[in-house]
Formats: sequence, C-alpha cells, structure tokens
Amino acid sequence: MKPLMLQGHERAITQIKYNRDGDLLFSSAKDNAPNVWFSLNGERLGSYLGHQGVVWCLDVNWETTRFLTGAGDNSMRLWDVSNGKEIGKVTTGSSVRTCAFSYSANTAVMSTDKQMKFNCEIYIIDVRNADASLEHQDPIMRIPVDGPKVTSILWGPLDETVISGHENGKITMWDLKMGKEVHSVMDHSGSINDLQFSKDGTQFISASKDCTAKLFDTDTLELLKTYKTERPVNSAALSPIMDHVVLGGGQEAMEVTTTSTRVGKFDARFFHLVFEEEFGRVKGHFGPINSLAFHPDGKSYASGGEDGFTRVHTFDPSYYEYQFDF
Amino acid sequence: MPEPVKSSWADEVDEESNRGPLPAGTEVVENGFKVVTEYKFNDDNKKVKIVRTYKIEKRTVSKTIATRKTWPKFGASKDDKPGPDPATTIVSEDVYMHFLSAKEEENMKMEEDALEKLKANPEKGAVKCRTCNGEHWTSKCPYKGSDALAKINSEKKPIGTPGAMDKAAAPASKYIPPSLREGANKRGESMNTRRDDTLAIRISNLSESVVESDLEELVKTFGPISKIFLAKDKATGNCKGFAYVHFRYRQDASAAIVGLNGHGYDHLILNVDWSKSQPVQN
Repeated sequence: MKPLMLQGHERAITQIKYNRDGDLLFSSAKDNAPNVWFSLNGERLGSYLGHQGVVWCLDVNWETTRFLTGAGDNSMRLWDVSNGKEIGKVTTGSSVRTCAFSYSANTAVMSTDKQMKFNCEIYIIDVRNADASLEHQDPIMRIPVDGPKVTSILWGPLDETVISGHENGKITMWDLKMGKEVHSVMDHSGSINDLQFSKDGTQFISASKDCTAKLFDTDTLELLKTYKTERPVNSAALSPIMDHVVLGGGQEAMEVTTTSTRVGKFDARFFHLVFEEEFGRVKGHFGPINSLAFHPDGKSYASGGEDGFTRVHTFDPSYYEYQFDF
Repeated sequence: MPEPVKSSWADEVDEESNRGPLPAGTEVVENGFKVVTEYKFNDDNKKVKIVRTYKIEKRTVSKTIATRKTWPKFGASKDDKPGPDPATTIVSEDVYMHFLSAKEEENMKMEEDALEKLKANPEKGAVKCRTCNGEHWTSKCPYKGSDALAKINSEKKPIGTPGAMDKAAAPASKYIPPSLREGANKRGESMNTRRDDTLAIRISNLSESVVESDLEELVKTFGPISKIFLAKDKATGNCKGFAYVHFRYRQDASAAIVGLNGHGYDHLILNVDWSKSQPVQN
C-alpha cells in the first residue's frame, strides 16, 4: 500500500478522527489549527483557525455539520465543519483535555485538567442552539472529579452515561441523571490514553501507558481481552469489519531522540481481537503513533504520530486474504 | 514544441538559468489522466519544470458526501486549487503489512538488539568490572568493599579462564562505537534504513498480466521476503515485464534463482538472476 502523508501540522498530532461517512478525516495537533482532509485523496479541505494553544481533542457530530475541539488555551470551541467558522466557545479555568459529542449531538461532554488550583471537572453542555452566547451560558452539569484527572472520554449508550478513563488507569462510568459515579474498574496501572468504541458500541477498547490495550464491555465495564506490548500504547482502534485491533504507541516523546528508529518500534501493530495475538505490523512513522482511527468501512486506517504526520493507509488485498492460523 | 531560434546558445543558457519570465503552467486532461506542468525557480535560482500526473477517478457516493466535496476550501487551504496540494499531501513510499507467523517470530528473536543480548548474557565479554577485572558489572562485583579485593589486586591475576579474559580485556581498553560492538549488526544505522541489495533478485520476462500478489505467491515458497518491486506501467497499471524481489536471507535468494530461472510462468520462460545494479526506485 502507498500511504498518503498529510503534512498540515507543525507539531505532534494529538488526535485524529473520521466522520461517520468516512469521507472526511479531522486531525488536531500541538499547534493551534486543527485540519480537515478528504480521506480518499488526502486533499486538505481546510483548517479551523482560532485556538491559541495545543489542541488536545476533537470530535465531529453524526451529520458532519459541527466540529468540536478542546485546547490548552482553556477553551472548547464549536465550529461549522463546512466553512471553518467558529460558532461558539466555552472558556474554562484550565486546559480542556477531552471533548465528545453525544450520539444525538444535542449535548457534548468535555473535561478539564487539574491545573493552576482548578480541579478536574467534567462539563455537560447543551449545544443544540449554540451561538456566540454559549460562552455566557451555564453548562447543564458540572461534575467535579476528585483524584486523578480524566484523560479520555466516551459517551455511553443512549447518551445516558459517560465513560471516562483516568490518569491512574481507572475507568469510571458516570450516570448523568444522578450526576455521579455509578461504577468504576481499575484494570490498568497506567494513564488511559485513548478510549474507542467498537462499531456497534457494545464494547470499547482502552489504550494505556502500562503497555497494554484492553477490551471492555460497555454496560458492565467487564474486562474481556488484553493486548500486551512492550511499549506504552497511545491509541487503539477496533476494525469495523474484521476481528482485528490496531495498536499504536512507542516510547515516551521525551525519549524519542535518544532511541533509533529501528529499536523505536513505532509500527502500527495489528492484533487478533479474540486470540489477543499480534499478526501484523505496518511501519512508517518516525515517532510514536499518538492516534489511530479505522475508516468506517474498515478498508483503510489512519495514524497520526509524534512526527507531525498523518498517514492514511488503504489495505492491500493480502490483508483481507490473511488467515489467522490457530 | 518549436521554439524561436536564439542568437547564441550561451544567451539561451543564461536566460534559462536566471532571467526570463516563467512559462505559464499547463493543465491537460486526457483519457482519465490529468497532467499538470508547472515552472518555478528552485533554491539555486534555476528554472525547473515540474510535471505531475494524476489519475482521475469517478466514484458514486451518497448525496451528503458529494455535497461536502463541493465545499469551498477555507482556513489555511483557502487559496489552494482543487485537487490535493503537493505541499500538504504527499504520496509516500510503498509500505507493506509485515505478517508475523510463528517461524518469523523466531527469526526476529535472533535479530534482537545487541543490548538485549548483553543484558541476557553478561558473562560473554564486553563487560568488565573495574574493581576485580571480572566479567561482570562493577556494581555487581562480589568483592565490592571487601578485603578480598586487596588480595586480588596484589595477585594481579584476574579470575575466570585466563585465555578468554585476555581476549575480552584487550578491546575493552579502546572505545568501540556501539555499532561495531559484539553482537551488533556491523552496518550501522541511518535515518532511512538502506536495503541490502545483495539479497535482491531480478525476475524478468514476466507477462503483462502479472500482479504483485501473483509474484508474492511465486516467490514466498523460498523464504521470507522483505520487499517486492514490480515494475508497472504508470498509465495502464500493467506489468512492465520485470520485478525485483528482496529476500531476507541469502540462501533463500539463491534457492529462488535456481528454482525459478527457466521456469515456465504464464506461457513465458522466466529469467531470474541476482540484481546486479541498483533497482529502479519508485
């Protein structure tokens, strides 16, 4: 396969995401302008200009009309996907680490860092009629998070719960009617870097600094599978069509310059979902992979790395022909 | 294209290299290909001509996707022309998914890092204790801070087998770059890992209809392959008749030459030999 290299960022990629149709690919990086690309030919549609700091997270709604970003400039912004105009923003006391639209896109969730005497908090925001006045509106709910900060977030089924991954490896489910924690599990021993749903949303995969990725049941947070590597895992994604899991990671960003690329193990690693065994690797990045996403049709995937590149890979026929021997 | 005759070729060169207006770029669309020609000055102030060929594909997509395709560009891409901008979108080198099987995992273990080897096997030279000259790390010295040390120093005789000791101690006195140390691969490393072309074979007289997967099928019985390059016609995508296959091990490559040279494939007789020269880069 000949990957497309998307070179629109000056600094390390923080998150990438496809829209639901898979024709657009959104990317955010530690520079201040998130980008949107056509996934088919790698053409850049545009960039969303306005943030003044690291953009940590992004999400796009179901209909691909609105785009959400959270940044280190203590704001979360809502954009019009089609023209890059800012619709509204929410300012906070500390950096916005995670953000996500609910499935209906009526509400959005975001979480802030524990920083500069501000606590880590989860905000639930109504974005139905968002406009410039969003800044002055109160969020629907603010849940203070005691203890380790939230590092990744997902909406639970029917927009009734929120699942958060924490810095110490805890995964917590919050009930939004009661506004409190209903369930939490502690299966990881390191920071949860990424949470991603399976196609039907009944399972999700977590990527953790403790060198593993784990598959959980969405309802019960029951640990189903563990995928072990020897490096911290920054991102993990589930294939929508095959029983495959792709893991991306590498060593800490601060150790990159002292390790050669050959030892660096910056490959995207493919595991079998059920047997937890690695069966394939794809090379390419010259820094750790920070974010991974499968195209919704499962025929290609994209990875964003510490090297600032996003690479879009379309699978060769050999990928579909490959039979896992067990 | 006929050009007006210049008075002197020297003037012409001069003009071409420095002055003279840039010819306007052209864009030709014909039978499914778009050829974009562009002229610009490079870093040395020389005129360069850039020709890019794009394949035009038509796809049937849902209405919403089609609408999004017509959106005008915005933000940093506001002034970009339609189609991918070569400044932000690059088609990178071919990569392959490297499938791991039980056999290959064993091989990978063999190629493990030199440091790992040392860690696992500290008794095997290269490590020398500064206190007792034994073959272990100084911090792990059994004589650390004990009286026995004085005794050892007075004897001036290292422990362990004397023969092996001399060998290990001699190179340890001089700095050896990590790439040349015991257990390391002697090639050294670079940012773009170089292929070892001595492991490559050239297969020619292939028929036009051969595709990469056919070729892989044909050669993979001989051993693990690190790269396959099949020369293809840019426009039609048909095979040009030759291919290069890089094997992981030399004996596999030679087995493939013996096995495939003169072998009938697709009504043609294959011609297989070592690739003597550098294969064409794509």
